[in-house]
Amino acid sequence: MASVSFHGIEKSFGTTKVIHGISFEIHDGEFMVLVGPSGCGKSTLLRMLAGLEEISSGTIAIDGKVVNDVESKDRDIAMVFQSYALYPHMTVGDNMAFSLKLRKADAKVTAERVANAAKILNLDPYLARFPRELSGGQRQRVAMGRAIVRDPKVFLFDEPLSNLDAKLRVAMRAEIKALHQRLKTTTVYVTHDQVEAMTMADRIVVMHDGRVEQIGEPLELYDRPDNLFVAQFIGSPAMNVVSGTVRRANGGAWVEAAGGVRWPLGHTAGADGQAVAYGVRPEHLSLGGGDAVPAEIIVVEPTGAETELLVQAGEAQIVLVTHGRPVVNPGDKIGLAVDPAMVHVFDQKTGARIAA
Amino acid sequence: MKMPTLKSVTTEAKLLLIGIPVLLWTLIPVYHLFLFSISPKESAFAGKLWPDHPTLHNFEVVFGQKHYYLSHFWLQLWNSLLIAVTVGMLTLFVATCAAFAISRLKVKGGRTIMNLALFTYFIPAAFLAVPMYKTMGNYGLLNNQWALILAMVTIAAPYSIWVLKQASDKLPYELDEAARMDGATPLQLFRLVYLPLMMPSLVAIGTYALLLAWNEYLYAFLLLSNDRQITLSVALGNFLAADDSPWELLMTVGLIYALPPAAIYYAFKRYMVGGLTAGAVKA
Repeated sequence: MASVSFHGIEKSFGTTKVIHGISFEIHDGEFMVLVGPSGCGKSTLLRMLAGLEEISSGTIAIDGKVVNDVESKDRDIAMVFQSYALYPHMTVGDNMAFSLKLRKADAKVTAERVANAAKILNLDPYLARFPRELSGGQRQRVAMGRAIVRDPKVFLFDEPLSNLDAKLRVAMRAEIKALHQRLKTTTVYVTHDQVEAMTMADRIVVMHDGRVEQIGEPLELYDRPDNLFVAQFIGSPAMNVVSGTVRRANGGAWVEAAGGVRWPLGHTAGADGQAVAYGVRPEHLSLGGGDAVPAEIIVVEPTGAETELLVQAGEAQIVLVTHGRPVVNPGDKIGLAVDPAMVHVFDQKTGARIAA
Repeated sequence: MKMPTLKSVTTEAKLLLIGIPVLLWTLIPVYHLFLFSISPKESAFAGKLWPDHPTLHNFEVVFGQKHYYLSHFWLQLWNSLLIAVTVGMLTLFVATCAAFAISRLKVKGGRTIMNLALFTYFIPAAFLAVPMYKTMGNYGLLNNQWALILAMVTIAAPYSIWVLKQASDKLPYELDEAARMDGATPLQLFRLVYLPLMMPSLVAIGTYALLLAWNEYLYAFLLLSNDRQITLSVALGNFLAADDSPWELLMTVGLIYALPPAAIYYAFKRYMVGGLTAGAVKA
């Protein structure tokens, strides 16, 4: 169990700088998810923590001790790789026992730890098998077992679920989460899948182009994204964003978008005439009444519990999600009711949130 | 059953047209060798497809060392074996270490060294024979079996390094990273992860170097001259020194000499098939 802190981390490959000064803390026992699109530097950051990449500048500390110059094997961390990286010539049991054998641990202790990990992961029947004889999910569990037997200070996961099919991914997601709740080991988990991030994390670090965009609890990021990138990255279906200009008149405020569509602004964010990006999540829109934004339905996608509608409002295409099953058809003219309290406004140039 | 189309029949026919002559081309000399070895001396050149009186007498003469040219047959066979096995082992050791350093440890300049080594193949080995003779003379190794062993390792190593390096590159690098995080030193990585996974390629390369040395004539002829030091291939060459060469014995020894390589090849054939890495990473 340990805390991890990144301080002013930079990383260059040759002349290409891929990480531009990142600092944050991971608390003891926390499940921290690094999320971002491909190439944002999240895996590189994890590999630097693992000791598999050199740190170009800055320091990484585990439990307050700087580990920049400590070999990976001496950092007391264990990693689960995307490709599992199981030793193909060893049985499941030997795979899990390998690190302890290298450390010359007592044979009895080793056997005990392997048995214990196998029990936690339901791998008991497979200990004598080879990795090639296992399914994807089982291999994934062996990779986790290999990490567990070491009882490390920190677990690292590098996109561990991306090789699994959708159904198994959901199941393994719950397993990893349950495992963390049971072992309470500090965990750093890298993924590009924001749903994984939202469902598993205690806190999320959203990364983009080698920089941290925002750090916070999942719902905090969802409810109050600091900038346009986070707003659009977190949430599925993604937040609707319309470019427009703030207008204030007669005590009212709205954002005027291309085609003359007026989107209501509830709060006082943004000065009259300011160019902004107006964001509203699909579930904060509804089929609505008198002062609604006029729109036309393009596609109706019922999923059972809810219905997703793609509509055209002025020049913008907007997605809205309603519970239940509205009786509408493509081509219908409707009104979009916006809950003004749930609207996000960002500066069009910088993408920064304009505080309400 | 599907009717074969005209096109598939012609393709098949073309392949057979090439295949049958190639097969005969390969088999006829071997058959000739066999024919000589079971023919009595007087009828060896009779030109028949099967001798009138097939005999095992030639083998008796060879195994009993009952001819002037064959007085050291067993010793020379042993020399061949000893040299071939040593060359195989040494080449394997050198090439495996080099391939591991270049491919897995990513030693700086490793690729350049490998390419330089491969570059030596631009010069035919026969041209290098005389410089090699001179070099071994300088080392005082002439007429010492180590001269031949070192020369053969030199010739076999570049290709072996290249093949093993290509095979190493196919092992997922994440295995090394996982082992490093598990606490393995480079030596432990080499011994516990790399070697077991490379086994099929190692057997293939070991066999290659062993057979190369077993079949070598030119260097063996140049570097060794004492009857008790030479390999069987050189001894075979000495048969031709006389006007009345005992052809039936020459062919008998040749047949015996050709058997171990064939046996080794069939014994290790299964290792040459990959598939050991299945299950390490995603399919």
